[in-house]
Amino acid sequence: MGSGRWSTDVYSAAASYRAATGTSAFAYSDSGARKAHPALDPLGVAARESRDSDEHPDSTPIAVLFDVTGSMGTVPRTLQTKLPQLLGLLTRKGYATDPHIMFGAVGDATCDRVPLQVGQFESDNRMDDDLARIVLEGGGGGQRTESYELAMYFMARHTSLDSVTKRGRRGYLFLIGDEMPYGQVKPKEVKRFIGDDLREPIAVEQMIAELQRTFDVYFIVPTAAGWGGDAQILAHWKRLLGQQVIELDDLDAVCETIALTVGLGEDAIDLDAGLADLVEVGSAAGASVGRALAPIGPGRGAVVRAAVDTGTAGSGNERL
Amino acid sequence: MNGHIAVADLGYGDAGKGTVVDAICASGRIAAVIRFNGGAQAAHNVVAGGRHHTFAQFGAGTFHGVPTHLSRFVVVDPLALAAEAASLGNPFHLLTVDGEALLATPWHRAANRAAERRRGGARHGSCGMGIGQTMAYALSHADAPRVADVLSPARLRRRLAAVRDRLTAAYGELDGPPLEDVVTAFTAFGAAVSIVDGTCLDRLLGNGPCVFEGAQGVLLDEWRGWHPYTTWSTTTFANVAALCDSFERLGVVRTYTTRHGAGPFVTEAPLDLPEPHNGAGEWQGAFRVGHFDAVAHRYAVEVAGGVDALAVTHLDAPGRCPQLRVCTSYDVAGERWDRIEPGPFQDLEHQARLTEAMAGARPRDLHRPADWAGEIGDLLGAPVRLESWGPDRADKRTAFAVAAA
Repeated sequence: MGSGRWSTDVYSAAASYRAATGTSAFAYSDSGARKAHPALDPLGVAARESRDSDEHPDSTPIAVLFDVTGSMGTVPRTLQTKLPQLLGLLTRKGYATDPHIMFGAVGDATCDRVPLQVGQFESDNRMDDDLARIVLEGGGGGQRTESYELAMYFMARHTSLDSVTKRGRRGYLFLIGDEMPYGQVKPKEVKRFIGDDLREPIAVEQMIAELQRTFDVYFIVPTAAGWGGDAQILAHWKRLLGQQVIELDDLDAVCETIALTVGLGEDAIDLDAGLADLVEVGSAAGASVGRALAPIGPGRGAVVRAAVDTGTAGSGNERL
Repeated sequence: MNGHIAVADLGYGDAGKGTVVDAICASGRIAAVIRFNGGAQAAHNVVAGGRHHTFAQFGAGTFHGVPTHLSRFVVVDPLALAAEAASLGNPFHLLTVDGEALLATPWHRAANRAAERRRGGARHGSCGMGIGQTMAYALSHADAPRVADVLSPARLRRRLAAVRDRLTAAYGELDGPPLEDVVTAFTAFGAAVSIVDGTCLDRLLGNGPCVFEGAQGVLLDEWRGWHPYTTWSTTTFANVAALCDSFERLGVVRTYTTRHGAGPFVTEAPLDLPEPHNGAGEWQGAFRVGHFDAVAHRYAVEVAGGVDALAVTHLDAPGRCPQLRVCTSYDVAGERWDRIEPGPFQDLEHQARLTEAMAGARPRDLHRPADWAGEIGDLLGAPVRLESWGPDRADKRTAFAVAAA
């Protein structure tokens, strides 16, 4: 039993704590918050914007919305620890110019208190702040559905992307979860959580078609070793999104999967080059990412516009 | 699907709880690892792809990014935690600490060591981290420092000064740092970790399946172990039952029995089984090995209220050690014992008599099974759901993740 091996010097401990991150990255949620942080509450929000600027003239919007119910609640924590790696790959490796990243969370509008949270598109460490404010609600029902369609509604109608309006270039939207969307966007829920008056429900297929005008939509579903994917849920998403359903056997590899998917989408890399980059940055996720992305490597839907000059890659944020 | 799993060592500790918790967390479905006893003296070794860490206060699911919750039953040592966190890259975002948990201070530690020194050759096999001292102090002092106190520096200072003064009065001059420096370090700890109330645990339990990670082993339990060679900690499932309504009981055993430090060890034998991660410590003494003690382990299962499944580790050891046997009965003063009858709960005099009997016991029936995991499962009356054939994560064979779905 037992280890007395740790240095337990009182001065080094104090210094070490001061040097450490400060508070929990999920201090807002861990403090017991039960409603969306004002910065992430979609109610009454006209639009979340991804704007070009002098500093970032060629913005690439990347939205990551995850299921925070049940055991999926560990995904944002993993994302947070790997965020520097994700940004490093996107910017330093030139996978995408001027990435603007948005984080959000999806729950169940029929039973959760916080079924939808959406942050801003950020290009600096303010995205950490948004991640920190997400309420990891847990809960969720056992009915194998979450309100992804409500999130899609918001992303389709309440985002404004310069990449689309100025350059005809879609953003990336990653949904991460292990359940199905409801069949239609319900006016009552839209009113309650977003504030719009919607006259009729919108079928999820129609919602996706509308959303795909502005975003390349991917669904990342965990198929952790030994648990297998749920065949019905997988088949449902494949019917909705075709090959843009990514089956991932290691949730710790979410960040790397997102980075390489963007890299492939931007034609900046092929899969082999991306996997080599992962080795170079010291990631152990290569095998899982390789298996996950093999189906979408070649022949995937092309991006609307030709690749931009990557000479501006250095203007992104480098945090590695 | 809320299949919480409680992991307890059925021996004297060191059976491989860390590696078992890590393997269960590999499913990617575990919402949190919850520690339910002990403190910084825990040493749960995990080896993953060449990376080795001895987990003490962080849960053994940390490599998978699984959050750790230190429940109110844990003795929290902020000084040791700083060093452990630094070696893991400061993953404080993965840690929540119950404000009710007791704080181990440098004076508790110093008093613990002074007490063990006084015992001379009759040491109890303490780790020298002051865990027992902290528990003992809290039993007799309502103002014992607790984690939430670090959020109120004035109260913290008052309570720490009381610890220092009372323990110095009892043990003489203690080797401890200046009070203000401890206040500073503990306050910094409060700024770095998330200190939560009891509702956090309920939320975690609602988030998905949780793993309760025990420290030490059932044979060291404060009430059920061989008194006084025990730990000041409830190592059975009792604390888990106090925190959670429903859970699966997973008992962890090695193919051979080990013990750190003093105390009865009936099957101890000079087996050639070197231990890479367990050295002899100044305070806990030598690392001892012996044949698999089915009698003592069956007692552990009985006093723990039964187990639903077993994890058997070190299954590669019998192959390396041809002398290794399983002991199914003792010779106690000419009598054959194949069962150690549990005494009344919390009767330390009975436990002390048991210790005397154990000290005089010798192995009687020894045999070498062909199928170690199957034999141990039969002897302990539970199915083996996880097998470990080596130190690395890759050496595990599990039916666990699938079954827990």
